[in-house]
Amino acid sequence: MVVNTPLPPRRNPGPSGGYRLLRALDRVLPEAIFRPLRAAGTLVAMAGMAEQRRHSYDYLTVALARRPTWRDVFRHFFAFEEVLMTRLRVINGQPHQSVFAPGSEDLRAWLESGTPALLGTFHVGVTELQGCQIAMKLHHPMHVVRLRVGNSHDTEKLEELFGDRLHFIWINEPAEMLLALKDAAATHGSIALQCDRPGYSARSEAFEFLGARRVFPFTIYHLAQIFQRPVLFAVGVPDGPDRARLHAIPRYEPRPGEPRAEALARARVHFQGFLQMVEEILREHPYLWFNFTPLNPVAPDSP
Amino acid sequence: MSDPLSAHVKRLIVDTLRLDDVKPDEIRDEEPLIGSGLSLDSIDALELVVKIEKTYGIKIASAEESRAALASVASLTQFIRTRADPARLPA
Repeated sequence: MVVNTPLPPRRNPGPSGGYRLLRALDRVLPEAIFRPLRAAGTLVAMAGMAEQRRHSYDYLTVALARRPTWRDVFRHFFAFEEVLMTRLRVINGQPHQSVFAPGSEDLRAWLESGTPALLGTFHVGVTELQGCQIAMKLHHPMHVVRLRVGNSHDTEKLEELFGDRLHFIWINEPAEMLLALKDAAATHGSIALQCDRPGYSARSEAFEFLGARRVFPFTIYHLAQIFQRPVLFAVGVPDGPDRARLHAIPRYEPRPGEPRAEALARARVHFQGFLQMVEEILREHPYLWFNFTPLNPVAPDSP
Repeated sequence: MSDPLSAHVKRLIVDTLRLDDVKPDEIRDEEPLIGSGLSLDSIDALELVVKIEKTYGIKIASAEESRAALASVASLTQFIRTRADPARLPA
């Protein structure tokens, strides 16, 4: 999974030092007042984040199949802010429920089985929060591979909140990360990886997505072969203010002794199936893929 | 006369990483494993480390150890020789 190039200074389109303020205001202000304030704050953030705004525009152009308006870009930023707010509310102690979408039976079975697995996710909706909550339901620790950005306070608070069940492996230190992955696998814990941004993946491949063959990280399936772990993919879509709907596909299971080429061919079919599901979700909820980084490039051999 | 451990390590590299177009005895002892030389990437390195730990019953505990051990076949062989139970090494 990564990263031999220096990382640029990066941050999410959220506040650098305002998380505590947001959490405090949420306790005292009625939502009818607080929500317009958050919208205004989002506008200010959007105005100051030209690069993220450009990437949002590029993604929305593809997702909406038309030229996005300023309102579209704002809705994209505000959707991200609302998910951030949901996370902060969970940190504040507010309950957040999960329900399983049809087709997620394997995910539910895995949660009940206690089998260590590799959990692939995208930066879609409330997926990361759901990942944390999944960690609490597992019978073993969950190790989450993640890029540490300039304002990761909310993630660090989630790590505190979910205690000894949840551990972050920061990919900013690639050499250490590989050993951390190895150690995580040795503890019989599960490992969660974001698999939608190819810039941080050692192995990437092209798949059909949003009208083109686009490059996606494929490292998770190589890890599945190395550690002989099943792969599950899931995303969490908000379903009301305090509930998420988990969407997943049947799991990919490595077969001992299977030739690598055949195993990876099966993996490609599996990942394409997941991408098809995500595309259907994004056609319905285009603002929920938090793509404030360059959109996955079209493969050079794409027709 | 070739070192049995070095030959074993080369065979293990070729088999583990499925280097179909490389013969074990074509790998030079001083050839870099990562980046240049065999051009292994980080996932190859991880797979190799997992296999080495399992085969020789040793543990590579830090990034510095990993970098030093995987610098070449010679350094990897030396690392294994100093860490592994002699009973697990090829005669």
